[in-house]
Amino acid sequence: MEISRKDFLKASAGAAALMLLKPPTSALAKESQTKDGMAMLVDVTKCVNCWWCYAACKNYNGLPETIKPDPEQPPPLSPDIWTTLKPIKKGDEWHSRKLACNHCTDAACVSVCPTGALSYNKLGFVQYDKDKCSGCGYCAEFCPFGIPQMESNRITGVAVMNKCTFCQDRVSNGEQPACAAACPTGAIKFGKRAELVKEGKERIATLSESGTEAQFYGEKELGGLHVMYVLDDTPQAYGLPVNPEVPPPVLVRDVIKLFGVGTMIVVAAGLGLNYIIARKEQMTRELPGGKNTKKEKRD
Amino acid sequence: MSEPRVVERFKKRTIWFHWIHTAAFIVLLVTGAILFFPGIGAPAEGGVTRVIHRIAVVIFVIAPVVYCFLNPRMVLHFIKETLTWGKDDIEWVQAAPFYYFGGDEEKMPPQGHVNTGQKMWQLIVLGTGVLFLVSGAVMWFLKDIVSPGIFQWSVIVHDVAFLLAFLMLLVHIYLGVIHPRMTESLRSMWDGKISDKYARSHYGKWYEEISKGEG
Repeated sequence: MEISRKDFLKASAGAAALMLLKPPTSALAKESQTKDGMAMLVDVTKCVNCWWCYAACKNYNGLPETIKPDPEQPPPLSPDIWTTLKPIKKGDEWHSRKLACNHCTDAACVSVCPTGALSYNKLGFVQYDKDKCSGCGYCAEFCPFGIPQMESNRITGVAVMNKCTFCQDRVSNGEQPACAAACPTGAIKFGKRAELVKEGKERIATLSESGTEAQFYGEKELGGLHVMYVLDDTPQAYGLPVNPEVPPPVLVRDVIKLFGVGTMIVVAAGLGLNYIIARKEQMTRELPGGKNTKKEKRD
Repeated sequence: MSEPRVVERFKKRTIWFHWIHTAAFIVLLVTGAILFFPGIGAPAEGGVTRVIHRIAVVIFVIAPVVYCFLNPRMVLHFIKETLTWGKDDIEWVQAAPFYYFGGDEEKMPPQGHVNTGQKMWQLIVLGTGVLFLVSGAVMWFLKDIVSPGIFQWSVIVHDVAFLLAFLMLLVHIYLGVIHPRMTESLRSMWDGKISDKYARSHYGKWYEEISKGEG
């Protein structure tokens, strides 16, 4: 009994030491997070509802093809649809906003992803490594835009997330995302974010001069989106939240994590200290002549 | 001197229940910790650990339900014991640091079947159990029904329950297995018995009660 207890102690001490040695990579650390880098500018006034972006996305990403959707019933995002259109009727015409991941600079999904499947690419967008996805679904629940789509089994919980990856392979090789490359009218433009911000604002000025109530969206939202919009109506009309923010529970969670690691260390240290002191006291007590000499021995 | 006298502290089925529940909880703890602590999420990739988490929770829930059916009176007693707090508990809290560090027994008030510290642990087990189950059920079954806000706060509740339970489990294991003075604690959860002497010094009030019953 005495030996097994000693072994147990050694093993526990080893485990504790390992926990202390492994520096907790803070949930707050955001590697390569930047509002600069590459981005897309989506101009609803140039969109002609051809759905080529939708088709090109499916084609490049190997997603099942469908017939050209009807603007009256635009398909929502799904595990098989990573980009779609949000059409609104203006007069007799359909004006559409491309709807996909906005690649936030302060991305809630990256903060809550436990495996690092979602992370910041050094070019600014939110990259996704599907092999690392645990299927927890936190990204889908915390995204202020409701973008990530889960393919899941309700009972077993086995799941995997899908979303626009910014065509990370293409972009990393200096190409444009498939949707931008396919767009025949320049309604989806790919380029350096700083330049696109400038271009978007100029476009707003031009549109405003000709009497359109135009708005620019994405410059400041969530630290700066990597998909920005020239809108000819309010953001809400196009299904975009005004002043979106990282949900407060994300920050609460970061604090709890830091607090948790801290208290673990304090409690482990406290118990270790207690053991040293209590053991010493016990040994003095068990010395020959001490009051409980033999009976305490077990088995 | 012949055989030292022993008293029964736990019944066989209680011991079985304790260890099954422990095993399930450790599995839950490990498969949950990798999703909580930053930088150790790699084993969760692919989602196998999430399935294990769900299998473990089924055991974790069924075990106490079965135990309740088998021993309804003992469970009621356990709950009552956990929720009954009095003057002795205050005295215990005041005296405990001197006892657990220095071995000073003088000021420790005699304890019942469980002492104040153990009652705290039982309270944590019951309390975090409820928090775990409610928030976990929301995340498992109501994901598509509740608003994202409710899901998000369920994650937080699950996190807080996890931390409380994990920290107190460390203390529980330490006191049960490692602390130099708790020499018969682990044994009592193994064969259900403790020596007369240990019962008298650790659970004086309880020892008196059961002695009276015998006499």
